[in-house]
Amino acid sequence: MSTLETPPPDAAALAALILRVSQKRDRTAYAALFKHFAPRVKAYLRRVGLDGAEAEEVTQEVMLSLWRKADSFDPAIAGAATWIFAITRNARIDLARRRRGLPTTPEPEEEGHSPSAEALTLAYEREALVRAALDTLSTEQQQIVRLSFFSETPHVAIADALGLPLGTVKSRIRLGLAKLRAALEDKT
Amino acid sequence: MIRHHPAPETLLAHIAGTLEPGHALIVTVHIEACVNCRAEAARLEATGGVLLDELDSEPLSTGAFAAVLARLDEPAPPKPVRPRQADLRLPPGLRLPAALRGTAIGRWLWMGAGLRYSRVTLPWAPKENVMLLRVEGGRRVLRHSHGGAELTQVLWGGFHDITGAYGPGDLQEADETIEHQPLADPEGCLCLAALEGGLRLPWISRLMGK
Repeated sequence: MSTLETPPPDAAALAALILRVSQKRDRTAYAALFKHFAPRVKAYLRRVGLDGAEAEEVTQEVMLSLWRKADSFDPAIAGAATWIFAITRNARIDLARRRRGLPTTPEPEEEGHSPSAEALTLAYEREALVRAALDTLSTEQQQIVRLSFFSETPHVAIADALGLPLGTVKSRIRLGLAKLRAALEDKT
Repeated sequence: MIRHHPAPETLLAHIAGTLEPGHALIVTVHIEACVNCRAEAARLEATGGVLLDELDSEPLSTGAFAAVLARLDEPAPPKPVRPRQADLRLPPGLRLPAALRGTAIGRWLWMGAGLRYSRVTLPWAPKENVMLLRVEGGRRVLRHSHGGAELTQVLWGGFHDITGAYGPGDLQEADETIEHQPLADPEGCLCLAALEGGLRLPWISRLMGK
């Protein structure tokens, strides 16, 4: 890799790229998004238990969805990474359903209710606030929050994996989330 | 005023995508009704976004980008056909939550005096045990406990039991340790409930105390 390579786009730039895809069907913007997100999406899918080939396949589906659903991206509601996270999570759930020959979950229909208070800050600013708030958690709380996101299984299995009672896992999650909420509530 | 919300770890599991489909549906219905949980869900989803963005990249195979580019102009897959929903004659002014639109809903079936249920089938998870439950005013659901966690969202009216009083928008999360006997408010109650563990458990006969 060349050191002259441009730095990765920040959250505002990523949101702007998605808007260029939705409004202008801009393939250059799409290529930049692919370069940034596809390797992260694949990393996430590997973390939640997909093998290399599955992760590759689902990553391609997610990136295709980015192109198709770009017009549902609203920078006042979600940051770019948040939006991609939601698409990736749903694609992973849908993979399991397709394998069992079941239809995928229908897209939620827009109800048109405004995001109200939670949109007071722009969503990409919320991501920066979340990043800062995560740093204030203890190592144990961070670990358990990460495991909750990056695990193929619910809390019972996390408790088994860590050798902790389920109650301890739940209370650590609650403490961690309460701290996150306290750091974010007034700002988001 | 919504007083009962999903537990923080339940909401987290929902956003992380690890909740069972039936429970996920109930939490989606709750979020639709509850502005606080909507805000919390948005914060959790942003947390997921941040954590994904921080991961070390996993390189894609050579040719992955070209493969996706070649598919950009393919038509999007058709939307699934909406399943059949019985006309349930709901209490005046009540609309079913938007999250139920993709589900199949059966007609009301008798379950006991003053007690009816309608089976809700999720096409994407047909074994999940989800139902609408209609209890007439002052009627009691017979004492029952659970094989697994039961999530109940009040859509209309209300009920109370040993754990508290529940009104429209409230979500009750009852695990296998709770044995309760909900009593409907005078105007009656309409709930959406999902029981963990699929149809293996004879939920209805448990409810009926048989």
